Amino acid sequence: MSDIETRFRRIKDLPSTHLLGTGTPMCAGCGGLQALHDIYDVLGAKTVFINAAGCMTLLSTYPFTPFRGSWLYTAMASAPAGAQGVRDALDILLEQGRMPPDDDLRVVVLTGDGAAYGMGLSATSGAIERNLDFLYIVYDNEGYGNTGQQYSGATPYAARTATSGIGYRGEKKDLFEIWVAHRPAYAATVIGAEPLDLARKVEKAMTIRGPKLILALAPCPTGWDYDPKLTVDIGRLAVRSGIWPLKEYVDGQVVHTKTPHPRKPVEAYLQLQGRFAHLFAPQRDEATLAEIQARVDAYWANLEH
Amino acid sequence: MKRVLLTGNGAAAWGARQARVDYVPAFPITPQTEIIESLAGWIDRGEMPGRLVTLESEHSMITAAGAAAATGVRVFSATSSQGLLYAMEMLYTVAGWRAPFVLVNVSRGLSAPITLEPDHNDVMAARDSGFLQIHCADCQEVLDSVLIAYRLAEDRRVRQPVLVNLDGFYLSFTREPVTLPDAASVDAFLPPFDAEAIMMRASAPESQAVAVLGGGPYSYFRYETHLALLNGLAVYDEIAADFNARFGRDYPAVEAYRCDDAEIVLLMIGSFATKARTAVDRLRQAGKPVGLLRPRLLRPFPAALLAAQLSGRRGVAVIDQNISMGKGGVLHTELASALYGVAEAPLLISFIGGLGGRDIAPEEFFEMVRVVEQAIDSGEAPPPRLLYTREELREMRKLQAVAQVERSNLEEPQ
Amino acid sequence: MFRVRFHGRGGQGMKTASRILGSALFAEGFEVQDAPRYGAERRGAPIFAYVRADQGPINERGIIRRPDLVVVADETLVPVPAAGVLAGIDAHTLLLIHSRESADTWRERLNTPAQVLILPLSEAVVERAEMPYVGAACAGAAAALLGVVSQASLTQALHSELDALGEVVVQRNLDKALDAFAELAASDVRASEGTEPDAADYASPAWIELPFETAGVSAPVIHAGLTSLASRTGLWRTLRPVIDYTLCNHCWWICSSLCPDGAIRVEDATPAIDYDHCKGCMVCVAVCPPHAITAQPEAAAGERETQS
Repeated sequence: MSDIETRFRRIKDLPSTHLLGTGTPMCAGCGGLQALHDIYDVLGAKTVFINAAGCMTLLSTYPFTPFRGSWLYTAMASAPAGAQGVRDALDILLEQGRMPPDDDLRVVVLTGDGAAYGMGLSATSGAIERNLDFLYIVYDNEGYGNTGQQYSGATPYAARTATSGIGYRGEKKDLFEIWVAHRPAYAATVIGAEPLDLARKVEKAMTIRGPKLILALAPCPTGWDYDPKLTVDIGRLAVRSGIWPLKEYVDGQVVHTKTPHPRKPVEAYLQLQGRFAHLFAPQRDEATLAEIQARVDAYWANLEH
Repeated sequence: MKRVLLTGNGAAAWGARQARVDYVPAFPITPQTEIIESLAGWIDRGEMPGRLVTLESEHSMITAAGAAAATGVRVFSATSSQGLLYAMEMLYTVAGWRAPFVLVNVSRGLSAPITLEPDHNDVMAARDSGFLQIHCADCQEVLDSVLIAYRLAEDRRVRQPVLVNLDGFYLSFTREPVTLPDAASVDAFLPPFDAEAIMMRASAPESQAVAVLGGGPYSYFRYETHLALLNGLAVYDEIAADFNARFGRDYPAVEAYRCDDAEIVLLMIGSFATKARTAVDRLRQAGKPVGLLRPRLLRPFPAALLAAQLSGRRGVAVIDQNISMGKGGVLHTELASALYGVAEAPLLISFIGGLGGRDIAPEEFFEMVRVVEQAIDSGEAPPPRLLYTREELREMRKLQAVAQVERSNLEEPQ
Repeated sequence: MFRVRFHGRGGQGMKTASRILGSALFAEGFEVQDAPRYGAERRGAPIFAYVRADQGPINERGIIRRPDLVVVADETLVPVPAAGVLAGIDAHTLLLIHSRESADTWRERLNTPAQVLILPLSEAVVERAEMPYVGAACAGAAAALLGVVSQASLTQALHSELDALGEVVVQRNLDKALDAFAELAASDVRASEGTEPDAADYASPAWIELPFETAGVSAPVIHAGLTSLASRTGLWRTLRPVIDYTLCNHCWWICSSLCPDGAIRVEDATPAIDYDHCKGCMVCVAVCPPHAITAQPEAAAGERETQS
């Protein structure tokens, strides 16, 4: 696929009035909500969100919804199957002429990392394999945020969570690569702090039929323990330190859309967050800091080969 | 209209085909698989319109079924046993969506130990989910019940999913003559699904299945679902009467067989109830005033109907092909609550039989009646009885010997 | 039985307040119940927590319908119906408001039968970093008003609840709690135990038969978009971002794009903040290139708004 002409060349090209309504019960400074409202501005209101259990389940709490379009809450494990049912039903209605084409909806799964990296993987894998035409949005705040930030399959090494008080010993699962291994139509990582990059990717995804991943790192003031005003700073540092590579998979190729150069030390990102405070006080944990830095360096070094 | 030989699975598939279902989310499981294979074949060969998609689990299958129904198409699905349990979270969930569709369950005993043969513990586990339940006794009834189930599910006084149950092997793989209604008659009986105000369209945005805060709204939504199921009692009668008028087959919510003057009643659900019919005939020949009651509708529970039928009888043998661990037969419990405080309520005697496909012999029906007679004479119901013979325990002992169970622990049957 | 309700915002330590008071009463030999009550809302949203204490076992559970003492950590919650601050208050109730304003002002404003008391709000507390300490102050004040908790028990309770947070944090909390304790202990007002409901003479609960309604009415479905606008999340705010339009360089939509809530609209290249819904995260303050947006204490900003 050749590069499409983007309508988002500079930040001023982003929509200035927002489609997603205010008044949601998400935390002040929610990085996931930030990404979602940017995504929704590009997707438009002819959308049905199929939601998996997570923080954003509460976006639509009777009788309030911030969506101009539609919504269906399913359960934690099976949002992609809900997307399958809705997409198939819409296709049937269109094929049989029982619904005007104008009434069609874009089918979008909205899930947190808890479902996406764990319980929902089977349903997601199935939907990709069936080549379902859907967009799969993950707001990844690296833990089970809605229940108080216990570690999930998305929790990074050394992060403190409610169930890893001395720092998580496991590794963050690579959901992007899990998707890529399925040969999907499209996959991309994004972050709300880089709205232009995000908008271009969503725009591109919308032109492609089939299963598409938008994986958004979602800085989380509540779960990551920082002042909510730092959501954008932390998001930018995630990118500039190389911890959160912005990339996309199209036509069998992974392309990095932003290569931080020079990369900021990971410390700059880590030290703003309470979940990593144990790496800095009462004394610096040099070994762990070096380990995290080395992993990031190795990722980028691998790319150059 | 023609008469053909069909298995219970074939009849279920024909029911879906004649109901002109749009969408079939599927997942294979014995003994249900033949249903989705039949539908897949017809769709592949262009013999029926519609779309069949195999999901990666029953949990996903029911999610897709509910989601498609919530988008406004007619949905059919089928499962069995472990599959029904794997889907359990979504059974409760989609029932709360008020998404109407029909799910066929082919009953099979639950693990552990794992078995392929039938009993009703799988479908009993779905009892409180918000699905209406129709239980079938023969293959004709399977087909007809699927058609009735769509009318019931989609009726605006109900608008809930309906589960149609048939027994594995005894119906699923058993061929019987089945009358296929002609398409025009079915179409006249079952108009297209009108989703009314609940669907998702670009021009009419809707947020479905949303969260609630607090017990007030939650109680309202949950109780409304309960009221919708209760409405199902009268709506069912109306639909069954219409079906009878059009097709000449009567399916009352509770089948009463030779009950008019019966002093003793056998009560059970499902295909084994046809064995009980034969037993009733033999017992009548022997001069015993025995009848059979077979609830077809288990949810909503026809409590008033059963109470009216049973008031004035002397004894009831309740035969449960299920067991609520630590309590006993589920039908026995439900019937007892329906009869509590009813004038001239009969004695209830509980039997557990037919677990995991274990047969119930004619002599066992006769013996159950004898136990009921003795209870009537003594005025006291004996404790629940498992239908299990000395010979079965002997056979079990042989198996245990091979399994090298410690011999000193094996008690010989008396 | 004593029945105490704490009202605050997520992040102000109301659960901690209830636990400190619960532990202190337990240390005094009472049977105790303490519990927080969460909704879907998050940091900044109204929450409450409650404490019961009695000489014997407590059978009552759940929300407190008729409180003896209501402690309001955040005065902006008092007029918010959803916060339920005034629920079940009667003449025997003490209503303690953490406020800059006087008891008379509140009495007049609320027209409440309850006795209104003030826990003075220091200027320092407007800083967001101070929010967690509010809970300790509320616990101290409540302990004093019950009149059955010693300073020693309060201190012990605070340690047992907060020691895991480290010495500095504990000391800070302890100072706040003891200051508030001293402040309220100095008054001669004490909470009194409310009367129990009378089984011989009570108001009927007015049960109804819930009518069946079709799924079009009774399914958990919202039949329109954007209804969340009716939810005034602006009430969560303790700090308010204020744009100085003389400094705003009408840049390229930065504050508007990055506002997590989408609460900044740009019209004619000029951003405008929707204060009905801005939750006060201050991301816009952090990202504005010419620093044209500043964070101001909500209470002060609110006053200026009403004056202008």
